[in-house]
Amino acid sequence: MSTAQSNLLSQMETTCGSLLHELQIIWDEVGESDVEKDRMLLELEQECLEVYRRKVDQANRCRAQLRQAIADAEAELAAICSAMGERPVHIRQSDQSTGSLKAELRAILPQIEEMRKRRSERKNQFIEVKKEIESIKNEIYSPGGYALNDTAVDENDLSLRYLEELNRELQALQKEKCERLQQVMEHLNYLCSCCSVLGLDFEQTASEIHPSLGESEGSKNISNDTIEKLRTAIQKLREVKMQRMQQLQDLASSLLELWNLMDTPVEEQQIFQKVTCNIAASEDEITEPDMLSADFINYVKAEVSRLEELKASKMKELVMKKKAELEDICRKTHLIPESNSSIDIAINAVESGAVDASCVLEQIELQISRVKEEALSRKDILEKVEKWMAACDEESWLEEYNRDDNRYNAGRGAHLTLKRAEKARALVNKLPSMVDTLTSKTSAWENENGVHFTYDGVRLLSMLEDYIVLRQEKELERKRQRDQKKLQGQLLTEHEALYGSKPSPMKNQSAKKGPRLSCGGAGASNRRLSLGGSMLQTPKPDMHPPTKATPNTRNAKKSERLNQDSLRDDGFAALSSGRRGLDLAGLPVQQHSLNLQFAREMESPMMRKPFSPISSTDSSRSNVTNILDDLNKKHNEMLHKTTLTSNNSTPFTTPSKMISMTDVENRTPQATPFPVPSTPSTVSIPMQMALTPAPKQTATTVPMQLANARKSVDEEIEYSFEERRAGFVVPRSRLVNAMQV
Amino acid sequence: MTAAPPPSTGRELSNPPTDGISNLRFSNHSDHLLVSSWDKSVRLYDASANALRGEFMHGGAVLDCCFHDDSSGFSASADHTVRRLVFNYNREDILGRHDAPVRCIEYSYATGQVITGSWDKTLKCWDPRGASAQERSLVGTYAQPERVYSMSLVGNRLVVATAGRHVNVYDLRNMSQPEQRRESSLKYQTRCVRCYPNGTGYALSSVEGRVAMEFFDLSEAGQSKNYGTFATGGCDGYVNVWDGNNKKRLYQYAKYPTSVAALSFSRDGRLLAVASSYTYEEGDKPHEPDAIFVRSVNEVEVKPKPKMLPNPAT
Repeated sequence: MSTAQSNLLSQMETTCGSLLHELQIIWDEVGESDVEKDRMLLELEQECLEVYRRKVDQANRCRAQLRQAIADAEAELAAICSAMGERPVHIRQSDQSTGSLKAELRAILPQIEEMRKRRSERKNQFIEVKKEIESIKNEIYSPGGYALNDTAVDENDLSLRYLEELNRELQALQKEKCERLQQVMEHLNYLCSCCSVLGLDFEQTASEIHPSLGESEGSKNISNDTIEKLRTAIQKLREVKMQRMQQLQDLASSLLELWNLMDTPVEEQQIFQKVTCNIAASEDEITEPDMLSADFINYVKAEVSRLEELKASKMKELVMKKKAELEDICRKTHLIPESNSSIDIAINAVESGAVDASCVLEQIELQISRVKEEALSRKDILEKVEKWMAACDEESWLEEYNRDDNRYNAGRGAHLTLKRAEKARALVNKLPSMVDTLTSKTSAWENENGVHFTYDGVRLLSMLEDYIVLRQEKELERKRQRDQKKLQGQLLTEHEALYGSKPSPMKNQSAKKGPRLSCGGAGASNRRLSLGGSMLQTPKPDMHPPTKATPNTRNAKKSERLNQDSLRDDGFAALSSGRRGLDLAGLPVQQHSLNLQFAREMESPMMRKPFSPISSTDSSRSNVTNILDDLNKKHNEMLHKTTLTSNNSTPFTTPSKMISMTDVENRTPQATPFPVPSTPSTVSIPMQMALTPAPKQTATTVPMQLANARKSVDEEIEYSFEERRAGFVVPRSRLVNAMQV
Repeated sequence: MTAAPPPSTGRELSNPPTDGISNLRFSNHSDHLLVSSWDKSVRLYDASANALRGEFMHGGAVLDCCFHDDSSGFSASADHTVRRLVFNYNREDILGRHDAPVRCIEYSYATGQVITGSWDKTLKCWDPRGASAQERSLVGTYAQPERVYSMSLVGNRLVVATAGRHVNVYDLRNMSQPEQRRESSLKYQTRCVRCYPNGTGYALSSVEGRVAMEFFDLSEAGQSKNYGTFATGGCDGYVNVWDGNNKKRLYQYAKYPTSVAALSFSRDGRLLAVASSYTYEEGDKPHEPDAIFVRSVNEVEVKPKPKMLPNPAT
């Protein structure tokens, strides 16, 4: 109680006493009864008590409130402390506290205030961290993928530990975000390079994955979804890249192949150098922009197809060239290209693309080599054919010339024609021997190759045969003319004898003409046969086995061929002789038989015999000589020729004589023109020609063998390489012995 | 594009003969190779192991050799002798003599006889079981028209090619006279004759480099579908494989250093022995060293090719 209050109370006590005194005075004046007085005083006292009671109640209530407030404050403090995970700063000292309640309250309030402040700070921190976490989570997991249920801060747990936890989480999240960002950047970089190599728009590609990725600046979306999309996009691009790379490398290899094949100039190659240099590159080595773009690949593809077309056309060209070459060779060698049509078909097939040109090329090439080979084997004969043809031309020219009555008229260039005629005559003289060798060579060739020797599709032998026949006809014609002339000459002589004069130029002409014409016939045969003679007379000692063998076998082949021919062409010969017979209907029979004889080309005289009108055994001689003899009795020179003719023609015609010749000269062809006994053709001869005596053949073969053996004694003996090396010499005596065996 | 790798010449055998190789033959039972040479020796090699297994010296150049079985063989020598060689004991005994160098030798499994051909213009048959005395081993002597140059046998048929282009075909069961007397269809001297393994005929080569294919029976020439391919070696140093059926060359091996003196296929045809040895065709002159190559034979090299392109015309 303060003094002021006690003063007030004492004043009040004074006032109350004075008031009571004043009341007593009043009452004394009023004279109130004591009862009244007592009642009034009780009333007063009661009222007074009431007032006191009220005040005490009030005070009591107030104290309770205060206590409550303190308790509340303390509870709050404790709650905050516990929430913040701190020990309560204020330890309640109420038990020991001496201070009043109000003081107590006053002491506690600032503490609460402070704690509240701290709590709200802490709460803010939590909110901040949580917000960040949430935002990062939102970024990482696609929005909506993460439920927003954790945003509210739990008021009850604001401890530092929890905060720490949250912070750690945040850091982890931030790290992850960083990593993801890096990953995205990496992916984007790769994507960018890929796009540039593949020639795609990077920004567009990136935007398609996520709009944020396409922008050069600004944050990138790093959500799982985006990364996944990015990854698949990259995978897809890589696949495309691999595929295109494979394509490009395939193209490059075909490019290289084509360049190599066609010797493409370097400048042309330079353009595609970067393609071909990548031929073996791995996927990550190809980084050049647009290297694998669709346009570029199409460009290279176009080049390859261009080259391929070029190649195809070149191949076609080559095929055509080869074909032309083949045809050229065929033309040059007078061969008929055997399967021209098949080549044409093949070429058509190439053009239509059904067949590979190289295949056809190979085929043609094969054919060319075959034809070349054949041409090589034909060359020798072809040269002779050319010569023969030229000679034939000269011959016909000469005939023309001879027919010209004014040929000796001196004119400009007459000496040249004279010279030409001179040469032509010499040439014509050689013609029969030419034909002869040609025939023998051709038949040897045919025997060796087993096919007909064709000249521009015509069998050369038949050409030669035709020529011989033609020649024969001409000769006969000439003879007939000569006969006529001779008759005329005789008439003239008679005339002369009668009248003593004869036209000299006529005589001259016939005299001139006679020898010249005969020159064509008898002279020619003379030449031919003398040539055969010279062949036989080749010096023996230095004859090399092969060289020697050639003429021998040639004769053998010829004879064989003759036999075969006579068989094969028997029908033909008969026909042609028939035709010729018709043609030369006016000619004597003799001539006909002569024709046949030539067509047969010197067969056994026994065959000819029945056809020949002359019964002499020496038929061949008779045919030629008799006529000539008749005609040319006057000319000694001619007579000489004919004898020569008859002499030389024997080896081919009469076997008996041949043997005698071998006896004399020992130089007859080794394989004399006798058919090999086993050859079926000879068997059919007696069938065809019933008149040919079969025993004759066997009879002749025996001496021939003997002659052979004998010949081999005298001839240079052939030795094998081994014999030569070993120095082996065949002893002479043993050889004779062996022969006798 | 079938760019074939460069064909190799095959493995060269070590310890080759020191002079020209006259012949070489594979055994019928193993990969043993018998080689006769002008250096007067016959050598036995194991071709698969590339090892020299034996060597027999003679009195003169050895012109031919052949196997009896895997343990013995025969040789024909220029010193006129015919010898039997026993490999295991390195023993040799003289089976008999000719009057001139013995050019070729064959052993017939069908008759168990050794047949020799000599430059003395005879053929002699020997019984190798006979003792060393010639009179007991000699079975018969058959005169030939000329010096024997080459022989080949298949089954009971023996083909003898001699100088002068004669070809005699014998039946070993009746040697008294030739079954067929023929003349070579080739123009030049006969170099070698070999029978087809199927016994229908023989191939004959001449010094000119041509090969003719002949048939014992003429009717068989028409149905000549039943023979295979064959290999030839020439003085040009090339070995060619031919398809006689189609008259085509199948394969050409790489050129050998010098003339191919002899060829032999092993029993299963997987190996081809090639004697690369100068054959004296151009007289005495400096030449490459003699060598034996053994090369493996690829099936494609000797198998007849199918037609490349069906002829569109037919």
